[in-house]
Amino acid sequence: MFGTRIGAVRPAAALSLATACVLALAACSSSGGSSSDGPSQAATGAQALAGQTITVYSGQHEQTVKALAADFEKRTGVKVDLRSGDEAELANQILQEGKASPADVFYAENPPALTVLEEQGLLAAVQPDTLKSVPAGDSSPKGDWVGVSARTAAFLAAEGKPADTAPPASVRDLAKPEWKGRLGIAPSETDFAPIVTRMIKTDGADATKQWLLGLKANAKSYDSNESLSAAINSGEVEGGVIDHYYFYRLRDEKTAAQTHAKLHYFTKTDPGALVDVSGAGVLKGGKHQQAAQAFLAYLDSAPAQTLIATSESYEYPLVAGVKGKAELPALDTVGQVASAADLGDGKEALQLLQDTGLLA
Amino acid sequence: MVSGLRAGHGRAEILSGVDLVVEDGALACVLGPSGCGKSTLLRVIAGFHPAAAGRVSLGERTLDDGRSRLPAERRRIGYVPQDGALFPHLTVAGNIGFGLPRGRRREKAAELLALVGLDGLGDRHPHQLSGGQQQRVALARALATEPELLLLDEPFAALDAALRTELRTEVAATLRRAGATAILVTHDQEEALSFADTIAVMRAGRIAQQAAPHELYHAPADAAVAGFLGEANLVPARLDGAKADTAFGSLPLTADAGTARRGVVLLRPRQLSLTADPLPGAVRARVTRSHFRGHDHRVELRPDPQDGLPGSLIAYTDGPWPHDDAYVRAQGLAHPLDESEDTPTAVGS
Amino acid sequence: MSTPHSARSADSPSPLPRWRAAGLLAPLAFAIVAVVASPLAFVVVQAGQAGWDQAQRLLGRPLIATLLWNTATLAAAVTAATAVLGFGAAYLVERTDLPGRRWWTVALVLPLAVPEFVRGYSWVSLFSSVRGYWGAVLVMTCSLYPLVFLPVAATLRRADTAAEEVSRSLGRGPLATLWRVTLPLTRPALAGGALLVSLYLLGEYGAFAMLRFTTFATAIFTQYKLGFDAASAAQLTLVLVALALLLVLLEAGCGRRGRVARRGAVGRRAAAAPLGRWKLPALAALAALVGTAVGVPLYALGYWLVVGSSTTLPSASVLSAALTTLGYAATAALVATAAAVPVALYGWRRGTRLARAAERAAYLTRALPGIAVALSVVHFAIRYAEPVYQQPPLLVAGYVILFFPLALTAVRAALAQVPPGVEEVARSLGTPPLGVLLRVTLPLVLPGLGAAAAMVALTAGTELTATLLLRPTGTQTLATQFWVYTSGLAYGAAAPYAALMTAMSVPPVLLLTRRTLGTNSRTEDSR
Repeated sequence: MFGTRIGAVRPAAALSLATACVLALAACSSSGGSSSDGPSQAATGAQALAGQTITVYSGQHEQTVKALAADFEKRTGVKVDLRSGDEAELANQILQEGKASPADVFYAENPPALTVLEEQGLLAAVQPDTLKSVPAGDSSPKGDWVGVSARTAAFLAAEGKPADTAPPASVRDLAKPEWKGRLGIAPSETDFAPIVTRMIKTDGADATKQWLLGLKANAKSYDSNESLSAAINSGEVEGGVIDHYYFYRLRDEKTAAQTHAKLHYFTKTDPGALVDVSGAGVLKGGKHQQAAQAFLAYLDSAPAQTLIATSESYEYPLVAGVKGKAELPALDTVGQVASAADLGDGKEALQLLQDTGLLA
Repeated sequence: MVSGLRAGHGRAEILSGVDLVVEDGALACVLGPSGCGKSTLLRVIAGFHPAAAGRVSLGERTLDDGRSRLPAERRRIGYVPQDGALFPHLTVAGNIGFGLPRGRRREKAAELLALVGLDGLGDRHPHQLSGGQQQRVALARALATEPELLLLDEPFAALDAALRTELRTEVAATLRRAGATAILVTHDQEEALSFADTIAVMRAGRIAQQAAPHELYHAPADAAVAGFLGEANLVPARLDGAKADTAFGSLPLTADAGTARRGVVLLRPRQLSLTADPLPGAVRARVTRSHFRGHDHRVELRPDPQDGLPGSLIAYTDGPWPHDDAYVRAQGLAHPLDESEDTPTAVGS
Repeated sequence: MSTPHSARSADSPSPLPRWRAAGLLAPLAFAIVAVVASPLAFVVVQAGQAGWDQAQRLLGRPLIATLLWNTATLAAAVTAATAVLGFGAAYLVERTDLPGRRWWTVALVLPLAVPEFVRGYSWVSLFSSVRGYWGAVLVMTCSLYPLVFLPVAATLRRADTAAEEVSRSLGRGPLATLWRVTLPLTRPALAGGALLVSLYLLGEYGAFAMLRFTTFATAIFTQYKLGFDAASAAQLTLVLVALALLLVLLEAGCGRRGRVARRGAVGRRAAAAPLGRWKLPALAALAALVGTAVGVPLYALGYWLVVGSSTTLPSASVLSAALTTLGYAATAALVATAAAVPVALYGWRRGTRLARAAERAAYLTRALPGIAVALSVVHFAIRYAEPVYQQPPLLVAGYVILFFPLALTAVRAALAQVPPGVEEVARSLGTPPLGVLLRVTLPLVLPGLGAAAAMVALTAGTELTATLLLRPTGTQTLATQFWVYTSGLAYGAAAPYAALMTAMSVPPVLLLTRRTLGTNSRTEDSR
């Protein structure tokens, strides 16, 4: 039960070796090869890091991250101690731990959790090559964390209900009186605030406030996306805004026969059609900088992205050339990526949510 | 043994200079009303409560001098509290053997059970015993370690009257048989008088007087002590040398009073007798109350207005007094008391 | 104690007497209180960092008043409802001729075996209408009433019935006697149970979120979860601490006015009051209570086990998670109980104001949201106990801090049963303090210690928030596994963990019941 940590390699030597390792991984990802060619290439560069153990705090879907960690270990010999939890609780934990945090990597579900740590100066700059492997807008503008996967907000409707037969074209419509009593929302979830942030950018704070007030009048509040999807599936409410993957996870759990909900996407330019990234960053105080950077590089390599794309988490990969699940519509057809710069730390959205009474 | 002892709880001083000496092998009694500090005194001697000043010693050993204390477990002082405080999780034998080394418990427990008359009850648990039996076990338990001193804190208070008298006699006998030195704390003067070789009357954190029971009863230091030990008739008198001139005539004094002066003498109810005839030295009085108490009659009388007599007199008589009036006579030694401002006429409990 | 000096010091006072007389107990008790109350210090310091302006802004929001009102009215309603149900049920099983009283006693305590997140979820998933204020009152009452039932039943069982008989002889009917004699008799137990219930309600978040009812804790949670602002959260938490302080003082007042009736030398049980034509309604009421409190969660669990397509047969991971849970719960139970003994003992031996204040400070943490306590442990451990950070001892410490009040309550109740004076008598028989503790005090409170340990094990075994934050990296308990699956919507896969948690909670519940109510020889004799 007592985790062992092996002392860091001497800095100078380690840096060069790590660079080699990252390059190897980058080469591996740029080759766009399938997972079959990964191990042999990565193994040569990663030998210096082999035997190290990095600690990853993860707010992401645990089963997927576990698979990623196992694959990374196989390729590099770096052992991953995975600490799964709620991303907000983990971010709070790192804030309390400060520079002494045992975490080497923080892998979050949403940008704000990472941005908060970035603002506190707790994150180290991500290796440029890793940043380059995904579109610039998917990572921190300052370069302290990198995007890994994406999901899009969509409208989940109870099958056969008016919300299903005539789904809203825009998230803005949901504040209209005709939706009164038909909607569910989960405003306390970390996925909800980014939509509000986005709306503040596109429509302005006042219009967003009005929209939130309309939403508050129309919708029942749920504590989590899980409860919201269950409520929609059972017909308790007609529909609600939710990340696309909740639908697929719900279907996998309930089987298609028991699933009574359908997913509708907003028009691509709508603020509701928000593509939100999950990202990862390296903790500045971590004792295994090179191995941590290697893990980030791995996350944005083709093998890892393929793993993510094919896993039961139903997320979109970010690296060009890696295909998502066949049943998912292409990401660029259903939404637009909100740049991390736009999403910020979400404080403005929180303020509005509190002002309108959607949150306490 | 105890000298100049002071102790308190927080800022409240409870013992303000107590001096008490108990001879080896003696049964002493600390008598006082509730709240006078007698239990605290016992607890200081036992080592449960620190002394603020003064000194507690046992034989040659200093137990507490107000600065350093010997812990209770090293004092070799036994303790029997009011409710016995038996260990509810142990059998009777287990209770008695508690303070003994493992090997000696059995044999000694049997011996002590016999001593307190509870043979064969060693395997019972405390809740299966009556109140009196529980107290006997508590006593046996305290005696088992052969303490140099035994402290008994109103051990008979919770028992009914008959059992109380019986157990008291028994315990006194047991203690004498065991050759133990003991201090009993009580507020019951009858208990004190019948139990002890020496009695210390305690009042407001001090020892008012310490003496043998008979002496204390008949020659108390002041009116309050006199009253606390039993009913007393306080009769104004002119004291002169070995004699007191009272309304009952001239009576011999317990001690020489020196040069002539006015004072008060103590006459116990038993020293007054009633007659139908106006004999010399008899005072005429009206019976105001009379009741039967089993072993005697208690008669309360109001003397005919006469200088030099209190408003009421109390006499104990062997038989009932059949008349409304009586002539009261006094006999025996009168004990001179210092007259205080508000000397009660008849004091008693 | 039996040092070579003893021969010499037997003749003169020991050289270190004052220190030894005071003993190690006081410093030990205060050290323990300092540790378990450390989250309070953490919250105060953090709140200070945010500054006065921020506090005004936070607390000045109109919503805050609403939330305070929600919290206060919910706490009042649930506390009142648990008091009525707890007392009523205890009266029925201890004082009437209700059939199957033994069986009912156990059944009535069983809701404690249901993990709290299972409880909330089961209601919501089965009855979507159980929502809002009344939903919260219903669910919380059903889950928390055993906290009142147990101590009240224990008091009724131990109390001499003479006072109740006297009341009857004075011409008071059964109801008047119940109201004017029996109820006041149980007041300390009732007040103690109600305190635990209301403190729990102050800090609870998860269940209310599921029931779509917002309380003051919701506001605190928002600050943590969306604002990443521990300082603002701490300012809000201070409001809860103030409320908790009020409750603790209130309980102290009630507890003092009531007196635990001391068992007479020959205490006895009264003949059971005949229920007569009320027998059926009483049975129906208890059946309804147990059915709602235990039946609903069990049904939901069964449903997910059978229906969820992600259900897999219990695998090695279930087994290892179960063993891990067991290990941590048992260790936490032992440590928390051991820590509660000096504090309770100190308060019991010296009824000083300081001792009572120390005891009460320990209760305040119970009102803190779990995340605040866990972050406080993170904060202190990484600074002052880095070697154990994210090591098993840290998680144990977290549980001990969280559940210390539960252990303290049980140990205090046990000590209250110890006859006064036995410790002193033991000392006078030549037994040194440690010997007195081992041979007299501990054996006497042992049944109570069992109850304390069972209570802590029960709660620690199903704890989630602190477990996620404090566990050694990679450690999986049943609760964390349950969380992993439910947050991925895989309820079927999660169900075996919840079922196992519930099953594993049954033995501690039985132990708790037996230890709290006690089946000593005296009560057996008199039956």
